[in-house]
Amino acid sequence: MATDAADASSDGPIAFRSVALEKSYETGETSVQALRGVDLAIPLGELLVLLGPSGGGKSTLLNIIGGLDRPTSGQLFYRDTELTALDDRALTRFRRAEVGFIFQFYNLIPSLTAEENVRLVTDIATDPMSPAEALALVGLAERRGHYPAQLSGGEQQRVAVARAIAKRPGVLLCDEPTGALDSATGMRVLEALARAHEELGTTVIIITHNVGIAAMAQRVFHILDGRIARVERNSKPVAPRDIRW
Amino acid sequence: MSALDLKLLRDLWRLRGQALAIALVLAAASATYVLAAGVHSSLLRTRDAYYARNHFAEIFAGVTRAPRNIAARIAAVPGVQRAEGNIIQYARLDLPGRIEPVRALVNSVDEAGRTHLNTITLRRGQPPRAGHAGDVVVDESFADANGLDLGSTIDAQIYGHQVALHIVGVGLAPNYIYALAPGDIVPDERRFGILWMGREALEAATNRRGAINAVALTLDRGASESEVIRKVDALLAPYGGTGAYGREDQLSHAFLDSELKQLAAMAAVIPPIFLIVSGFLVYVVLGRTIRTEREQIGLIKAFGYSDWVIGWHYLKFALAIALVAIVAGSLAGIWMGRAMTGLYAQYYRFPFLQYSLSPTVFLSAGALAAGAAGLGAAGGVSTAIRLNPAVAMTPPPPPVYRTGLVERLGQLAGFTAIGEMIVRHIARWPGRSAVTLFGVALSMGLLFATIQFVEASRTMVDDYFARSQRDDLTVTFTEPRNADVLRALAQLPGVLRVEATRALAVRLSRGNRSERTAIEGVDPASTLTARIDSGGEEIALPPAGLMLSRQLADQLHANAGDLVRVDLLGGHRTSLSLPVVRIVDEIIGARAYAPPATIDKLSRDASPAGGALLKIDPAARDRILMRLSAMPVVLGVAERAVALARFQQLIRQNILTMIGFYVSFASAIAIGVVYNSARILFSERAHELATLRVLGYQKREVAVVLLGEIALLVAAAIPLGCVVGYGLAHLMIAMFSSDLFRLPYAATRASYGYAALVILAAAISTALVVARRVGALDMVRVLKARD
Repeated sequence: MATDAADASSDGPIAFRSVALEKSYETGETSVQALRGVDLAIPLGELLVLLGPSGGGKSTLLNIIGGLDRPTSGQLFYRDTELTALDDRALTRFRRAEVGFIFQFYNLIPSLTAEENVRLVTDIATDPMSPAEALALVGLAERRGHYPAQLSGGEQQRVAVARAIAKRPGVLLCDEPTGALDSATGMRVLEALARAHEELGTTVIIITHNVGIAAMAQRVFHILDGRIARVERNSKPVAPRDIRW
Repeated sequence: MSALDLKLLRDLWRLRGQALAIALVLAAASATYVLAAGVHSSLLRTRDAYYARNHFAEIFAGVTRAPRNIAARIAAVPGVQRAEGNIIQYARLDLPGRIEPVRALVNSVDEAGRTHLNTITLRRGQPPRAGHAGDVVVDESFADANGLDLGSTIDAQIYGHQVALHIVGVGLAPNYIYALAPGDIVPDERRFGILWMGREALEAATNRRGAINAVALTLDRGASESEVIRKVDALLAPYGGTGAYGREDQLSHAFLDSELKQLAAMAAVIPPIFLIVSGFLVYVVLGRTIRTEREQIGLIKAFGYSDWVIGWHYLKFALAIALVAIVAGSLAGIWMGRAMTGLYAQYYRFPFLQYSLSPTVFLSAGALAAGAAGLGAAGGVSTAIRLNPAVAMTPPPPPVYRTGLVERLGQLAGFTAIGEMIVRHIARWPGRSAVTLFGVALSMGLLFATIQFVEASRTMVDDYFARSQRDDLTVTFTEPRNADVLRALAQLPGVLRVEATRALAVRLSRGNRSERTAIEGVDPASTLTARIDSGGEEIALPPAGLMLSRQLADQLHANAGDLVRVDLLGGHRTSLSLPVVRIVDEIIGARAYAPPATIDKLSRDASPAGGALLKIDPAARDRILMRLSAMPVVLGVAERAVALARFQQLIRQNILTMIGFYVSFASAIAIGVVYNSARILFSERAHELATLRVLGYQKREVAVVLLGEIALLVAAAIPLGCVVGYGLAHLMIAMFSSDLFRLPYAATRASYGYAALVILAAAISTALVVARRVGALDMVRVLKARD
């Protein structure tokens, strides 16, 4: 692995670029500085891992990138669009068109079957794949009629992956996708993510504090105290099944 | 304060919106109960005290002319406590500046200026003095309405004699609490008054020296009313007795009694609706609270708090809501009760009528509200009590959804995933969905039934006046007259048409049932009257036999084709057996009709006209009224336009006040139910709603999940509300109908529409208030938490 700057403008077209992103939260009388001037460039179609201890600002950065949250100051661009200049409706449209989210706790709708959870996204996307196709991509074609309560944790997370990739998103944002899973199940989820990355060419950003997972990334940002402390480039990413947990 | 009580206070504060929404519905229960039961008990106690203090008689009888000592013979009848003979005579008053005839009912008082039964409460002045022939006491409402007071003089025509009356006193008596002139249906204190006059003077004026024409008596405790009536009738028969009757047939008492029955019905029908709804709301909200506090309950139990302490903690939550509701509802009930008592005081003449605050009413209202809240809490409280701490501290199993019939239908209908979410959530929580559905349906039903009440009253006005009474003036004669009088009336300039009216006091009997009533003679050629049934159809009178109103037929258990025995009260005391040829659903009164030939056969006299109906040229009204006033045969004139205005005013004041209350009450239910279900829905689905926002759904689209479920339930509740309203309206008709009138079912499609619109407006605005919370959803925070 080689160490490099957070600037990757030399690596071809850029998905995300930020300038001096700052984010502070007011909690009562104290102010928490979650991001302290983040400048980054994430190349299009890359698989990136954000690594670092809890409270370092990884989730805050991911949420801002995904349009769930807004920075206190600074600029963020997705391709040619300045996300930081968009209003709430436009940010929602951005999420609807470009972003697939995967969370630690799946966030499936319990009243909808696996297939219908995927349909939730395909109902509103412009050029989605069919829910069956998305579920087949994550190896759950057989379980499409099951409700979340009838699926294991790993299966639920793969439904979440299918739901995220069904719209053919420009970017997949994964916040601790394997955090609640054992290693074998986690590996299957990561395989599903890797497959989406390869077959759809999607930019994938994964938050983890599992150092082993960083081995499958092309680039790793080490986040510490609200800054990108270090960037590693990985010329030979390993397949998920070869990851050591 | 214990830590647990602090938690209770903070829980209440946190859930203040929902708690207040429940309190609103529960307060409506307390308010309607305090209103109806409070006014009922005030009216009842006032009436009973007045009756007792002023010795209101229990049996009344009219007679053509009987010697005064008949009273002593009646008093000797076993079971009679006290009897009194009087003269009661209609008179015409000539008030200065008044062109329309003013009528009065003059009652005799003894040498000391008193009566022993139905005694007068003097407001001011003194009783008629012995030896002062013109001294009269005037009833208070009449005096006030006509600007009369002590020292005023009135010219009166009593029994054809011109008498100058001198007002020496102003007062009132318990037999005229509700004073209605013949032919009127609403009291008109400007045109009809009660007078009390010295016996000798009234005897002289009515040519009844030493004689009486009315008897009143009270009974010994335990005496049989029907037995005494039979004996009194036998004693009075030789003197032209027109049949003794009890209080239930005494006009003033009957009206008051019907009012009391309506209030009792209101107290019995309306508050339970609110109690049921609020009980269910407590059930739903507390159930939800206990589910979300499951882990806390486990923890608190693990600390060593007993099951009962926990149960009591949650019961207090419900009782605290009830307490707020009882206080607010009682205050509202008192306020409304005062307003309603004020209305009653305008129509019922009591020496004192105050809305009195009876502790029993408040205690019952409190017990009902606390009981409903407590019952509603029972389910949740027992769950909290039964919760095993070890189990409670682990997260609850996720809700299990299954693909049922509804879902398959949804799939067939091609629902979107959002549509599926909505439908399945309804199916997943059937109990709660049912509470919303039935709560909204009940609120709509209540509103509909109230609107129907207004429609029914309007129909009464419309049918009774506009369609069945087409005359402009109803003239009553001092006694039945022959056709000469009709001809004289017809010759007055401006009179377009004259028709005779005649009603005979009779007793109708069939089997062991009998009713005192009047048979009205109806000329088939009449154009100034018509009988309209409750369906709005005009009914033709059969050429022979009797036509009975439905109420009278029911009282007699008579059907068309049955024979009914008719005994004329007074006059020749003719008895006939007549067939019932038709039964008609009428709105007002228990009445009987017969063609003129039958009337003549019964009365066997040559005086076919008891009164006359006149159609006049409106431009000649004043002149005609003046001419009528000058005719000695004319006792009084009722004007259709005036009566219509009076009745409409009564409806506006009395009924619209009630409507105002009930629109707010019904909306309160809808608001309470919708607010609570929307809030619960929102808190339950906050996680899912945030997920949808993350997936790229706009706020508006996410709100659909919330509003869609409410909208589906409200939409389903509207037709159900129509059914509930239809049933409730009929229940109210049954409970509010009396011998005096029967409310028609007069709801139109517009009534359903209006009720639906009000409820929809209340539901939509409430749901939108909650839906605004979607905009404030913090996606990041919600998703960080485990569902």
